[in-house]
Parts: sequence; C-alpha cells; structure tokens
Amino acid sequence: MKLAAGDRKVMELVYSQHYRFVCKWIGKTGGNEEDAADVCQESMIVLYEKAKNGDFELTCKLSTYLFAIARNLWHKKLQSRPKGFVAMEDDEDLNIEGNYEDDIKAHHERELHYAQLDKALAQLGEPCSSLLKSFYFKNSSMQQLATDFGYTNADNAKTQKYKCLARLKKIFYNTQVK
Amino acid sequence: MGNDKNIWELAEAYLDNKLAEQERAAVEERRLSDSVFAAEFQDCINMLNAMKGSGEHKQYKQALKEVHEQVVNVTDEELLPKTIRLWRNNWRTAAIAASIAILTSLTTFWFAQHNNKKIASQYSLLRRDLETYKRSQNKIIGDIKRQASTPELEARYTGTGFALTNDGYLVSSYHVIAGADSVYIQNKDGEYYKADMVAFNEATDVVILKVEHEGFTFNKQDIPYTIAKNKKKLGSRVFTLGFPQDEIVYNEGYISAKNGYGGDSTQYRLDIPAGPGQSGAPVADASGNIIGIITGKESESEGTTYAVASEAILELLSTLPKENSIRVPATNRLSRMSRENQIEKLEYYTCAIKVYKK
Repeated sequence: MKLAAGDRKVMELVYSQHYRFVCKWIGKTGGNEEDAADVCQESMIVLYEKAKNGDFELTCKLSTYLFAIARNLWHKKLQSRPKGFVAMEDDEDLNIEGNYEDDIKAHHERELHYAQLDKALAQLGEPCSSLLKSFYFKNSSMQQLATDFGYTNADNAKTQKYKCLARLKKIFYNTQVK
Repeated sequence: MGNDKNIWELAEAYLDNKLAEQERAAVEERRLSDSVFAAEFQDCINMLNAMKGSGEHKQYKQALKEVHEQVVNVTDEELLPKTIRLWRNNWRTAAIAASIAILTSLTTFWFAQHNNKKIASQYSLLRRDLETYKRSQNKIIGDIKRQASTPELEARYTGTGFALTNDGYLVSSYHVIAGADSVYIQNKDGEYYKADMVAFNEATDVVILKVEHEGFTFNKQDIPYTIAKNKKKLGSRVFTLGFPQDEIVYNEGYISAKNGYGGDSTQYRLDIPAGPGQSGAPVADASGNIIGIITGKESESEGTTYAVASEAILELLSTLPKENSIRVPATNRLSRMSRENQIEKLEYYTCAIKVYKK
C-alpha cells in the first residue's frame, strides 16, 4: 500500500499538512498537541482502512475529507470527556461537508474487533502467540519462523501454525459470544 | 487433527489465490453441499482475514507514529517558512499523488477489501443470531404469561421520547413505560423499533431506553442539542414537541415556577398546554437545549404542566456502570436557527413511544 509503507514520502506529506491544520483547530477548541496527534493519526487510519476497503470515492479534496474525519473524532472525544467541559456553541457548519458517520462507526467497530483479537492472542499462551504474531504482524517467512522457534523445517512450523490458529479461533469466537 | 490442518491450509491457499482452478471449484462446491464444512471454512477464512487485517493495521499505525515523530521534529526545529511554503504549494500535487496511491492500492489490495467486508458480515451475522435468540426468548416469556393471565385484553399507552445519542439511547418518563410488556418507538418516518429499558428512576420519573435495532440512528447527524446541567431562570421561554395524537404537536410557554408539583425541586412548573401522550416530551429553551421532560399536569387548571428538570437525566446517567456509560451530546447546533428550523431538526430526534401491556 503506497500510503501505508511503500511510499513513505506521500504519507509524510499528507500527514504533515493534515497535522498542522488539526493542531491549529484543536488548539482553538481546547485541546493540546497530544490530542491533535491522536486525532490526526486516527483519521489517517480511517482513511487507510477505507482505501483498503475499496469503497472509497473521493468526492472532495483529500485534505477536506481528512479534516472532516478528524473534526468528527474530536467531537466524539469531547463528548466522552467528563462533565464540566464547556460546550462549544459555534460550529453550525459542522454538517456542511458531511461528517462521515458511517466511516467513523466502521472504524470504531474495527478497532474493537482487533482489540478482541489481541485479547484472544494474549490468552493463547506461548509459543503459539509469538509464532502467530511474527508471521502475521511482522511478516516473517515460514523458514524464518522454523529457525526462530526451533522447528526442524518450514513444514513443521507450518503445521504448528495451523494448530495455533485452530486454538486461537476457539478462544476468539468464544469471547465474542460472551 | 490432520483434517484440522487441512482445512486451514485450504483456507489459506484459497485466500492467497493459490488454488488451482479445479481445487477452487471443488472447494466452492463443497461449501454449497456441505454446510458443516462451509461454516467451518468460513470461520477459518474470517480468522485468517482478521489476523492479516490486524497485522496491516498495526504496521500502519507504527508507520504513522514514526512519521509523526519526523513531522514534529521538523516543526520543532522551526524549519524556515520557505520549506513550509514549498509544502503548501505542493499540497495539491501531493493530494493527487495520494489519490493515485489509493487507486493503486485498490488493485493491489482488492483482496484485503474482500477480507474486511467479510469481517463486517461476520459481525452482523453474529448479532442477528443473538437477536433472534432474544426474540424467541421474549416469545417464550410472553407465552407463559399469556397462559397465566387473561390473554385477550391488550391495553396500549403512548408517550413521547427524545434522543440522548444518535445511535438509539433515548429518554422518556418512567410512568409511561412502567409495567410494560414491550415498548416500541415510532420515528419521524413512522417506522417502529423495539426499545429496551436501560435505566430508570421512579422518584424523578425518568427512564432511559435503547433502540435495539442493528444500525439504528435517529438521523444522519449527531444530536444537535445539549442537556442543561442547571436549572433555568423563572420566566424562561420554553417549547415542547410531543405526540398527544399521531402527529407531532408543537407548544410553547414559559417556566412559571422554579419548583414543581408540591414544591418538588427536581421539577419545573410550566405554563404550557400539554395533553395525554406528551409525557416524556422534551422541553427546550430558546436555543434548543433540553431543560426538562414533560411529566404531568394539573388536572383542575388547563395549561399548568410539570416537567422534570434535565439534571435528573444527567443524574440517572451518572449511575450507569462505566462500561455502559453514555456520551451526552456536547454541542448545540440549533442556537442561531429560527424556531421553525429548530423544530424541523428536533423532529428527527423526537419519537412517539408505544407501550403494550396485557
């Protein structure tokens, strides 16, 4: 994915501009730099997942889209903060560009989904947990895994991987149903 | 066990597009004919997709963090404005480049797209199952009850409610739904949705309900009003929207006393016409913020109505356990609108409540 890893330059460019915008705006509405960074990165992730999903049609400038997402995320954050926070009254234009509710919702659901997966992985125990993590999260090859985890060959490691997956599946679906 | 390994291998090859045409066809056929296999196979695919998706997600997050560090460092060093201007000028080009990048990614990652959709559908499937489960459970309860009491009579009450969050939490009067077998809301478009009780306070007569329908929202936009934290002043102009009849009805008036019936300090006394069915209706101030909930009226004098002050809503919300906490709307987008436009917006978030009792 070009925006993700292949083309770091594009990502840097988009991000730096986006960050500047959001920083200014969030500063005005009572947030700090940390908030801005959070919101910025989260909105980039929304964009990334959306692009990956394939149903992304740019109906406006990329920056506009990103900013709308960031703004919405920030509002949600403000709303979830404890009472005593001063409500803002002057953002009637919030709806003009749309606030991409669906995208944000999908994003939150996805985050939850992945968080559950992480939980399941943690419950899985070793060496399964590490094995799966290095294969799926770090893109290690089967051969690499075999040497790292002390299997005689790649095929053995593969068999082990499938066993681990089967166990993970059990844990994962059990926690989801509660 | 050997079989177990097999299905994973198959699923992985299937996803990576590494199956020969014949093998692929065989898998598809087996999925159609063998439902046990199909379900298990789908689970495997979902699992693999989740792992892959999660991995990519993590890597992207990491990359973002690194980029952030880089960007912040550049800003910190106060790079000359020239550079910034250069970036600014190139922004459009960058945006185009990025769009192209996204397009490219679509072709490269059409698989991933495939994946995520399936994750989503798996989600809804799971929920639907739970829903039907719940429904059948309700039915069972209903049946038992029906046997015990007289079956034919089914009394019906109506009230009004208004949204607390766009995704289905709403507020009404407790007495409207007290003792109900089932509660439905009817939204602006006349559609019925079942609602469940989340919390109530009998003393203040407030109830919080939740529409259980998957994907339900009151409107496309978030709630445009806030819930007042403090009592408004005597004489404040207020208005209300409610359902004393099938159609929504608007009324306006003012706060005529700071305390309600019998000096109840959790209430207001209002001078505003209200009829049966308007219990639970929102009372809003001039800028459209919710200040109370209609709860009752004086039977002797026409036009004297009592409303629970909105603090009672917040108080009830604060009693909810942390994991179920509800985010209260924090922004008002109605304050500068004309009354007509305020009403137009508010209509989306006000609903009739239909209560079924035996």
